[in-house]
Amino acid sequence: MQKRKYILSLITIFTFWNVGISMTQKNLSGEEIVKESQQAFYYAGKDMQAKVLMKLISKNGNERIRELTMLRLNDNNNDKQKYYMYFHQPADVRAMTFMVWKYTGKADDRWLYIPAIKLVKRIVADDKNSSFVGSDFSYEDVSGRDISDDIHTLKKEEKINSRNAFVVESVPKQASGAYFSRKVSWIDKETFLPLKEEYYDKRGDLYKTFTADKIENIQEIPTIMKRTMLDTQNGHRTEVSFTKVKYNVGLRDNLFSERYLRNPPREWIR
Amino acid sequence: MRLKKLTYFSIDHPKLVIALTLIITGLFLFQFPKAHIDTDPENMLEADQPDRVFYDLLKEDFGIRDMIVLGITDETGIFQPQTLGKIARITNEILKIDGVIVEDVISFTTTDNVTSEDSVMQVRRIMETAPQTTKEVEVIKTSVFGNPLFVEKLVSKNGNAAAIYIPIRQKNMSYSISQKIESIAQKELGKDQNYYIAGLPVAEDTFGYKMFTQMSILAPLIGLVIFLLLFFLFRKSSLIVPPMIMAMFSVIWGMGSLIGLGFTVHIMSSMIPIFLMPIAVLDSVHILSEFYDRYPELKDRKKTLTEVFDKLFTPMFYTSITTAVGFASLTLADIPPVRVFGAFVAFGVMVAWILTVMFIPASIMLIHENKLISKVVKNTKKDSLLTHFLPRLGQFVFKQSRLIVIGALLFMLIGIWGLTKIIVNDNPVKWFNKNSKIRVADRIMNQQFGGTYMAYLTLAGKQPNDIKKPKVMNYISKLQKYLESESVVGKTTSVADIIKRVNYVLKGSTSSQSVIPQTQNEIGQELFLFLMSGNPNDLDNFVNYDYTKANIWVQMKRGDNRDMENIEKGVQQFIANNSPPDGVKIRWSGLTYINKVWQDLMVKGMLESVLGGFIAVFILMIFLFRSPVLAFISMMPLTFAIVLSYGLLGFIGKDYDMPVAVVSSMALGLSIDFAIHFIQRFRQKYKETKELEAVNNYIFGGTARAISRNAFVIIFGFIPLVFATLGPYITVGAFFALLMAFSALTTLLLLPALMRMVGFRFIKNKKD
Repeated sequence: MQKRKYILSLITIFTFWNVGISMTQKNLSGEEIVKESQQAFYYAGKDMQAKVLMKLISKNGNERIRELTMLRLNDNNNDKQKYYMYFHQPADVRAMTFMVWKYTGKADDRWLYIPAIKLVKRIVADDKNSSFVGSDFSYEDVSGRDISDDIHTLKKEEKINSRNAFVVESVPKQASGAYFSRKVSWIDKETFLPLKEEYYDKRGDLYKTFTADKIENIQEIPTIMKRTMLDTQNGHRTEVSFTKVKYNVGLRDNLFSERYLRNPPREWIR
Repeated sequence: MRLKKLTYFSIDHPKLVIALTLIITGLFLFQFPKAHIDTDPENMLEADQPDRVFYDLLKEDFGIRDMIVLGITDETGIFQPQTLGKIARITNEILKIDGVIVEDVISFTTTDNVTSEDSVMQVRRIMETAPQTTKEVEVIKTSVFGNPLFVEKLVSKNGNAAAIYIPIRQKNMSYSISQKIESIAQKELGKDQNYYIAGLPVAEDTFGYKMFTQMSILAPLIGLVIFLLLFFLFRKSSLIVPPMIMAMFSVIWGMGSLIGLGFTVHIMSSMIPIFLMPIAVLDSVHILSEFYDRYPELKDRKKTLTEVFDKLFTPMFYTSITTAVGFASLTLADIPPVRVFGAFVAFGVMVAWILTVMFIPASIMLIHENKLISKVVKNTKKDSLLTHFLPRLGQFVFKQSRLIVIGALLFMLIGIWGLTKIIVNDNPVKWFNKNSKIRVADRIMNQQFGGTYMAYLTLAGKQPNDIKKPKVMNYISKLQKYLESESVVGKTTSVADIIKRVNYVLKGSTSSQSVIPQTQNEIGQELFLFLMSGNPNDLDNFVNYDYTKANIWVQMKRGDNRDMENIEKGVQQFIANNSPPDGVKIRWSGLTYINKVWQDLMVKGMLESVLGGFIAVFILMIFLFRSPVLAFISMMPLTFAIVLSYGLLGFIGKDYDMPVAVVSSMALGLSIDFAIHFIQRFRQKYKETKELEAVNNYIFGGTARAISRNAFVIIFGFIPLVFATLGPYITVGAFFALLMAFSALTTLLLLPALMRMVGFRFIKNKKD
């Protein structure tokens, strides 16, 4: 088993390495790299199912837990994506469900089901920078930011955690459209997954750091299984672990509807 | 006295003594660059003082920061495109200031409003960008006034003022950040608009900043005034320069040792120089007085000095010891900066003594005999006002002693009556004068908004999620209702308000009332919804991580300690009548509360230290005079000074605040000086002559003059403080001058009367 995994990853690395080389030879622009990276990070597979454990950890070590099942379905041409989340923990929010329809170039639609009052509420929020369930990840961090919102520049290539990476700087076209003034990403040259991201605020100070802590191949797709977002200014951090990740499980489009918010599909959310 | 050898040695080796003094002074001066300044009144409390520990914990639990409040007013109303645009731009600039906690800034452009429209919940910034049309303005206006969380917090009820709340990383950045905010506001605002910067942190930090500029003006000014006074009294600059240098050296030794030992220069210790200088020269005034009396006869500086010191050494030693004990009594207080202040002034006083008995005679030895003869001898021929007046006063007192004692008793009673009227109260904002920017901002902001004085009322349950229980939520709500019924409380905010708001938004269509849901699950889920739609920090400020604790923000319109105390009592009463559910514990915190705590300690501490000092000085006096009755008489000037001055405070209605409290211990050590010189001389002479009237005349011929001179130096030496722009210095200057005036008057009037009627019987014949 172990051996098979090893060979498998060797093969993937090899293929991606080749791809990597051929692409660098083509001299990828910053924007193209980010585009590849978003594909690898947010759009991998046709659909995905995973159990997500979020630990919100305060500076002095207090913890809050969020446990949820996440279902994701890509639209055919990837300009639309649908998310479905079912919360297992904390106890008093069990059976709350949350759905996001994500579009490019347009504000998301979000729905939340509150079981205690059996109410589905549609939420309109312009602010993609706001926190996702109280964590250090913003909605944008969870589902991706429009590539066209920023200007992406390839700064250099360097090794990070013994991996070769592109270092891309992204600067928002409109200052008011983002919380950060500058983002620096280290993007793996083979997998195109982000290995590290640094967010700088409007004063130019570092305020948030993303790190990909564990990457595994799931169904031959390199997947970040553990990630951390650290608020460098107040010491708060959020650790997210993915388990039971499955791609291409055959999610149906009608799952992402108000009906299933109220009656979670048992077979998918165990 | 054995120690007298120090003086004899100095007379014989003046150059050596002066060289040594200079070297040691140099060493102390060398410590100055290490000075570390601390302007935080929170440090008035020990680091492990329970209320302070609790406040630190609260700040961690709820992510609370010290806050600057910027108010922007527009007489024509803030809800117009131009003014809102200015607010947006100002906020944007403020976010760029280093030290500002960006994600917690509360302003139109940084705060989300959650509203409900056609069964859709909207989460939007109150104002994303500056509106262009009046229609857009109307939308913003409706949304702000539609959310009770914003009214009187972000906007005034009349719509003429908006506020921006700016949390900062550290309190000691308040002054520099407020300066930057000011220049941003100045640049942006037009003639219809005004801006105001308020909040306790700014007041406290600004005070710290101003304090040092004030000190650098006042200390030299006091030095100059003392020099002029001495010149007026002795008219010979070469003789008054040594005491001036000695005073400066005492300050350098005192401050140098404080800094060298690693103590911080706090509001209190910054006052050391201005206290030490006048005190340091007091003994020299006696020396010079006596020197001027004796020198014309002896015409030999060595002989004169020996004679002067033979006479004055013991009283000088005791006056210095008692002054030092008075200040050292401050070390009994529970307030670290006060302890440091007391200890180092006491040290400085003893330095002044050692320099007085060594450096002063050494310096006088270096003045040429011819020069002395020409100046001193000529000078004393002139009669001063005092030499005319004092003997007559002596006669009057001797004849009317009975009347004086009765009059004194009467004054005492009036003083005690005044004492009962004293009000203990303080407020750091009031340390600035009425027309200062900070005071004006304080007035305007507290008129327009819910209050700039922050206090926190925390509730602690036993189990995680206790706060989510409906009965706890309802209790919080009820507690807030009570708080807001008090006039001093402007606005309160809690997790219950958030829940009510979310509940209203969710069910807006069915119920128009903001109520708290009936089940814990519903509360939990609504809070989760809030977390999903807003800034998590907004919730963290009101509940802790595992929902065991809740925090009610209490915005007060007035920050006097008395107001805080009243509210505290009111809440106590409320809790007694409405016992909290499930053993929830309720406790106060916040800067306004902390100020009240240290003031309580200050009042209690000062009372204890004054009593302690009083007893210590009394015991010293029994040793000196070998009679409890004489010791008792010697305590009179001090007793009268304190009772009458504090009684006067009670009558004129001035609050008993931090500076007033501190001054009491200073009076302790100094008032006794007059009595020591008076009684000691009286004893010496009485033993010689046994003639009461002759002794009385002798005293009023010489000692009384030295005492009056001293009183002048100390009273006028503190007068420059009255011209300070910071309240505490004015209070200290004026109040101290008052205390000294009362004790000088008591010494010159009551002491001779008492000595004549009772005291003389207790003078032992034995020689000392």
